[in-house]
Amino acid sequence: MFQKIFIIAFLVTLVYIVLHRIVVPSNKRLPGNSTNNRLSIIGMLRILVYLAVLFCFLVLAMTGFYPTLVLGKHISGYLVMVHATFAPVFAVCLAVLAVMWARRWRFTSGDWPWFERIVQRLTLSNKPGNDTTRKSSGIGQKLSFWLIIFLALPLILSIVLSMFPLFGTYWQEILLSMHRYTALVFAMVAIVHTYFIIRT
Amino acid sequence: MLKDLEERIDCKLRKGLVLTGFSCLLVLCLYAPIVCLESKAAGAESPGKLLGDESDGSRAQPAHLIPLIAENEDGEQGGKVYPDDDPLLSFSMRWTCGDCHSYGIISKGWHFNATDPNVAPGRSGQPWILSDARTGTQIPLSYRQWPGTFRPEKLGLSSREFVKLFGRHSPGGGAGELETEDMDEIMREYVSGKLEINCLSCHNAEFAHDQGENFLQIARGNFRWASAATCEFASVSGSADDMPETYDPFMPEPPEDAKKVPPTIKYRESAFDHENKVYFNIVREVPNNRCYFCHSNLYLEAEDTEKWNVEEDIHLKAGLKCVDCHRNGIDHNIVRGYEGEESASTNHLAPALSCEGCHLGETDSFSPEAGRLGAPVPKHPGIPPAHFERMTCTACHSGPWPIEKTVLTKTSRAHRLGTIGVNKSHEALPHIISPVFSEHSGIGAAYIGRLLLLKAGKIAPHKMIWPAFWGIIKDKDITPINFDVVRQKVGQVLSNLSLPASGDWPALSDENVIQALKSLKGTVEGEPVYVSGGKVYSLDDSGKLWSEEHKAAKPYLWPIAHNVRPAAQSLGIRYCTDCHATDAPFFFGDVAVDSPAITGRGTKKMVEFQNVDPSYARAFAFSFVFRPMMKIVSLGSCAVIAVVLLLYALKALACVVKVLAGQD
Repeated sequence: MFQKIFIIAFLVTLVYIVLHRIVVPSNKRLPGNSTNNRLSIIGMLRILVYLAVLFCFLVLAMTGFYPTLVLGKHISGYLVMVHATFAPVFAVCLAVLAVMWARRWRFTSGDWPWFERIVQRLTLSNKPGNDTTRKSSGIGQKLSFWLIIFLALPLILSIVLSMFPLFGTYWQEILLSMHRYTALVFAMVAIVHTYFIIRT
Repeated sequence: MLKDLEERIDCKLRKGLVLTGFSCLLVLCLYAPIVCLESKAAGAESPGKLLGDESDGSRAQPAHLIPLIAENEDGEQGGKVYPDDDPLLSFSMRWTCGDCHSYGIISKGWHFNATDPNVAPGRSGQPWILSDARTGTQIPLSYRQWPGTFRPEKLGLSSREFVKLFGRHSPGGGAGELETEDMDEIMREYVSGKLEINCLSCHNAEFAHDQGENFLQIARGNFRWASAATCEFASVSGSADDMPETYDPFMPEPPEDAKKVPPTIKYRESAFDHENKVYFNIVREVPNNRCYFCHSNLYLEAEDTEKWNVEEDIHLKAGLKCVDCHRNGIDHNIVRGYEGEESASTNHLAPALSCEGCHLGETDSFSPEAGRLGAPVPKHPGIPPAHFERMTCTACHSGPWPIEKTVLTKTSRAHRLGTIGVNKSHEALPHIISPVFSEHSGIGAAYIGRLLLLKAGKIAPHKMIWPAFWGIIKDKDITPINFDVVRQKVGQVLSNLSLPASGDWPALSDENVIQALKSLKGTVEGEPVYVSGGKVYSLDDSGKLWSEEHKAAKPYLWPIAHNVRPAAQSLGIRYCTDCHATDAPFFFGDVAVDSPAITGRGTKKMVEFQNVDPSYARAFAFSFVFRPMMKIVSLGSCAVIAVVLLLYALKALACVVKVLAGQD
């Protein structure tokens, strides 16, 4: 079942990326995202954190998904050891990523127009608001970033909490399923986020 | 003319009818005695059920006030036994109990059907162990097809010899009732009788029942009298083995040697009532004490191993009886209680009476089934489900708590516990060691007439013996040498070695083994070898001793199920490091390699028996040192992420509030 869902999710993500690539023109840069800026130490650190998260994600994805998808059995042996070794590193890097990049990826006024229109429709407000000029704000990147940060919580907590003598066998299996499916969604979102990063 | 013709036809038809009827009658008359004889030979097994084969639903115990019935000289049902009979015969279980309970059906039960080749062997169980200190022998025997055991006839043991050695801790039947083809044994069998199923060994609730008498009577060759000797109102003296082969127990003549006493039974006079019936205190549910005679264990992990120092099984302490789980009907196809038993047993309660069956029940059953017999339903908090796929329930809950090294273990059947003159020394042969945490060897299930070995693979605690025997290697297969030959040849070569008083075997040097192999070389067909301590020893072309590993030398293991410890004493109850630590006995305990050959002795690590990479096990155990740190780091990271999310969620909420308030 999980294999089928993974394949479908992966295909949907792939299709979305391909369509986005075709439909949305590229060469758009975020404001203040000039390539002419010299990287400070902090800036380098931020990029390093991003790379570290990406690297940890790749290792965890391979060690986690390979036995389930390819071998058809639970993760075990040296794979689980590698997975468990990179997991806390990944958690720390995510926390640092959240702190360092949250402001950069916060939703700004450029992201408002559509939301403002939704609110006006919902509240039936006739107030002619100032039409904010639609600027390309990297909404996809922001959304995917915040989804990653949000999904990190159930992803990490589902497995850490199972290590405490709190939950019996029934809930252990639920936590394991939660970890598995959250990881699946996380992976898809991470792929999309990486695509947006590369595009900009 | 037509009328004549009609009359003639009519007459012929009548004659034909009469002839046909007469023929049918003749056939019936010939066939009926055969059917009667067969049904008698089957032990009163009739197509219909006997009185005691089926319950009427009353849970009250019926009173067994019944006459004693002996067998006759043909082995068939004889007359009733009266206290003033001359000669006074032993009553037969088969004919006394068989009057109401189908002996033929009962004799197919698990405790009696080891010699039936059509019975699926199921999970490997405890073998009979032939041990001899002088020849450095301890070899697992079984009539069942358990991998790693040898059939008794492979060592030249007839069924009678097998019964003489091991019948002491059996409820009779099985090998005790096999027909022999050996002329010498046929004569002896008539004198001794057959070892019938002793119903009393399980179902006699009388405190005065003495199952230990079984050992004495079998040792004396008094098979026919053994069952009666165990009961509270009879005593047996004399020995059938002391009698000549021409002795007739049904018309006994005093032996020429006055010192030799023929087998004689005496009944307590008060046992017979005014109708010459005897009261048997028979219960359907076998008392635990009866099971204990054959199924006791003694773990020699401490010097003081008295019973009051050791806890019994938690189920018994909770008020259950052995037979509350190990149930059967009239077919005596008892539930053994292991996972997957339904593949080898026809008892429909087998899955329901396993650990999971009682404690967890069936998840997809119509009605709730968990917690039968008051079994607590386990939560197993904090234990990853992978443990239940990789290990049996007994791995954490049964047997002795694992310590740094395996311990010597005694069992009733291997060490004849509960009988007179038992060697109480810890080192007495055979050497059984436990607990050994190993993968299951699989379940032997019968499948359309063939034996199918189902792969099990779960880790469970086992008892283990390292086979030690003298054999012949041919085409890479090793078969044991006839034990009489071994006793004669090897025993002679090793006769100068002093045997320890403890019953242990002597330490054999390489030279001892070489001499013994040389003594066998000219006597047996093929290359003689000595199997011991997981290795096979043989002589090379230059006469030097060399050894190699061989599958026939692999240890024989059988799972431990009892005693079950309480939940508060299960593995993992304290922390994961009960098992996942670099010094945890579960993975890294020492398993003694037991051998009389000095060079063969040593230890192995427990992990070598579990199909697990030892370096992985060690690395994984080491990782648990950092586990608390990992939890703290992960939870800390989650806290930081949660704070960031909360912060920006609140900021987003502030924006929404402004929008709704109509502000920019």
